Amino acid sequence: MKVHPGHEITSLQYIFLLTGVQVGVAVLSLPRKLAETAGTDGWISILVWWLVSMLASLIIVQIMKNSPRGSLPDWAAEVLGVWAGKTIALLLTLYFCVLLYDGLTKSVLITKTWLLPNTPAYVITVLLLLPTYMIARHGPRIVGRYCELIVYLSLWIPLVYLLPLKQAHFIHLLPVVKDGWQPILTGAKEMIYPTLGMAATFVLYPYLKHKEKATAAVIASSSLTMLTYLFMTLICLVYYSPDEIAEYNNPVISVLKSIEFRFIERIEVPFIAFYLTIFSLVWIPTMYLATFCSSWLFARKDIRGQLQILCILIALATYFYTPTLYQNLMMEKILIGFGLSVEYIFPLILLSFIVLYNRLRRRNC
Amino acid sequence: MILMERVAISGLLANGVQQQYVMNRHLFHRKPYAHQWEGWQRIMKLPHNHQSTEHEPDLEEHIPDIIQHLQQLFTDTPDLIIRKLSIVQTGEKAVLAYLDGLTDKNSINNDVLYPLQFEKGGGDPGSELFMTVGHIVPYTTWAKVIEAILNGDSVLFVDRRKEAYALDTKGWPQRAIEDPQLEPSLKGAHQGFLETGSQNIALIRRYIPNRELKIKQLAVGKRGPASVSILYLEDVTNTEFIQLLEDRIKAINVDVIINTGELVEFIEDNPYSLFPQLISTERPDAAASQILQGRCAVVVDRSPSVLIAPVNFMAFFQSIDDYSTRWSIATFLRMLRIAAFFIAAFLPALYIAVVSYHFEIIPMKLLITLGESRGRVPLPPFVEAVLMEITLEILREAGVRLPAPVGQTVGIVGGIVIGQAVVQAGLISNVMVVVVAFTGISSFILPNYDMVAAVRLLRFILMILASLFGFVGIIIGFMLMIEQIIALRSLGMPYGIPLAPMRFADLKDTLVRVPLWLMNKRPISTSALQSKRQGNSRFKGEEE
Repeated sequence: MKVHPGHEITSLQYIFLLTGVQVGVAVLSLPRKLAETAGTDGWISILVWWLVSMLASLIIVQIMKNSPRGSLPDWAAEVLGVWAGKTIALLLTLYFCVLLYDGLTKSVLITKTWLLPNTPAYVITVLLLLPTYMIARHGPRIVGRYCELIVYLSLWIPLVYLLPLKQAHFIHLLPVVKDGWQPILTGAKEMIYPTLGMAATFVLYPYLKHKEKATAAVIASSSLTMLTYLFMTLICLVYYSPDEIAEYNNPVISVLKSIEFRFIERIEVPFIAFYLTIFSLVWIPTMYLATFCSSWLFARKDIRGQLQILCILIALATYFYTPTLYQNLMMEKILIGFGLSVEYIFPLILLSFIVLYNRLRRRNC
Repeated sequence: MILMERVAISGLLANGVQQQYVMNRHLFHRKPYAHQWEGWQRIMKLPHNHQSTEHEPDLEEHIPDIIQHLQQLFTDTPDLIIRKLSIVQTGEKAVLAYLDGLTDKNSINNDVLYPLQFEKGGGDPGSELFMTVGHIVPYTTWAKVIEAILNGDSVLFVDRRKEAYALDTKGWPQRAIEDPQLEPSLKGAHQGFLETGSQNIALIRRYIPNRELKIKQLAVGKRGPASVSILYLEDVTNTEFIQLLEDRIKAINVDVIINTGELVEFIEDNPYSLFPQLISTERPDAAASQILQGRCAVVVDRSPSVLIAPVNFMAFFQSIDDYSTRWSIATFLRMLRIAAFFIAAFLPALYIAVVSYHFEIIPMKLLITLGESRGRVPLPPFVEAVLMEITLEILREAGVRLPAPVGQTVGIVGGIVIGQAVVQAGLISNVMVVVVAFTGISSFILPNYDMVAAVRLLRFILMILASLFGFVGIIIGFMLMIEQIIALRSLGMPYGIPLAPMRFADLKDTLVRVPLWLMNKRPISTSALQSKRQGNSRFKGEEE
């Protein structure tokens, strides 16, 4: 599937798209998970894993540099044969579908818990799928624009999170590295789930307007992700006491409960509604990516047919079976394993293969 | 030898454009040589809506034949006047035909009939004729002659000549230039467009007296071709827009275009979207400033509004007054309008969502007052809100349709009904009245009528969503609205520009309006050929 002119995305859109897929729903529970394993030093784990994830995304970009005009399945089909391409397309389709389904069910569960307790989950799913379909059908450029716009529209959110600092106790952070490095490194594994999404580069790289800036863009995007996580985690760590934080499922939302104005109480309610736009940064791009890969698999030019099928499938699936919060956590665990292999291990193997392959080919010449 | 005949029209009509040639004001000299006519044809190659084949000359040479043919063509046309005369200058016989009412009587009497009949000093038959008409075109085909007559020219047939002369004696009923009705301005000009295309072009030209202001003329409509002119600056406007616009207008195949609004329906990018994708303005200064930014203006003859293309979403929040007031207040007004857009679209939906789903976010004291007011109301919030919003819409429509003196009465009755009676009767809550009044007033400050119309419909969609799903519904509506803004195109340009895709340089004239001397470049969103529009114009401050 060759890139059509007029579908290129700018570097900023690419950065925000990657960051959006990563941050999306993952940020909500991250401070709790980090606090559970690494205690109040959890924020150091973010810095540690930041380096790892940046390395992984750089590897992905290195791989994609071999295929400036096609996505990863295109490259694989060209170099390794059609079936290799199909396998990779299938793998990516599955992976993006799981990512999409996880993000979507999390959003649905959060919506159901906080905003619409009496509405059946499948209704909320259909509701969320509506804008998803509308935006994803336009292709990468519109998805990129959407991510960009939503990021700009959410720039005010960090300011609100400064408000709880009135009751903050910075003493919670001290002493730094209180239990040695062991818990910090263990905590870093909690960062796998929140950094998933770098695989988008496998599909989006050919659409980049300035491919030479791709390296800088992934560095910027993982740094932006890291800053977001660091900011939210630090706020939660200084606001909650080290023992209390583990009691909240989504501390990032619960923090807001402390904010109260004379004219509005329970500020988290409108916030979660607005957060749906940020959550959508997970499922809208992954919806596009998944259907892109599946269209590639079935050699379809237009993704709309696949998009409709996927939307209907998801809606039907949620109608017959709605995961509970616990099952969603189980799915998250599966996703962590899957993601670790697709986004960290698989690229590493692929890159070493490519290096070897190129060297062999050069020697043969 | 004066003969006035009343004859009739058959439906025979000509295609093509009324061709405009400015010739020497006093002299009219054109010999009926065939090669010269071909030369004219070549020069006169104006774009046609549909390819008309080059007609063979088919005019009769003898006056009686011509009169007979005219009578056959125009049956049941009492306003066609056929005047026989003999030309003193050359001694030839002639016939003048025109439609009474479309022509200027003074001009025909003083500039055509008088010189032809009473001023001597001409040459032999077939030589030049002296008339004090500025603008004379020779035609050799009936099709062109008919078209000329129907468009208000008077046509002079001379015995034994192969061509007839269309004399520009147009003069139809027309109103005087007035203040624009829909877009009044405090400090801007007070001239609005009229119903005559050529005058509208002149109004724009007054602002841009520049050779580079080019006009592409097309004719739209089979039965009553209206001349549609695309105005643009040749060295500024991106040629893609002109090409697209031209192609789209040429594709129109209709009887008649009555108004610019009809043209819009045929050429806009996405007819199913709620959002307007082209601006129609009735202000020459606004049109001129848009042309200077690198956009095209489309003047449709017979319509008092001019189209601007391509436009983006944020252009609907700009008003020409922004540039004639100081930048600080202009910036404030911009932000006010953007806020008003969201209030007008979202406020009733938010009310419904809060009252029926999320009342826990209201602080206790406010909740008690709200509860007191809501408690007496028998209607659910959604019905209450829809009822009130529909009342508002009815009042607004009533105000528009009624003549001004009666319109005021509607305002008073409506104000009392909305304001007090419904609340006292316990039908509607106090807060709802506040919400409706607020949305109504907010929608009035948006400068563009089409955008207000979009907001009015958007409001109802959001209200339905809010009544079904509370805040979630509103957010879904918001996301769908964003989808529209980022995915729509106006003449191929992204509608969301400069917000999505983000063009930081263009924000200078979008969310804020920075001082004019900081806007040295044309907006990127028009992708103009010449981006620089001014140099450093601000004097250097005196040293202290």
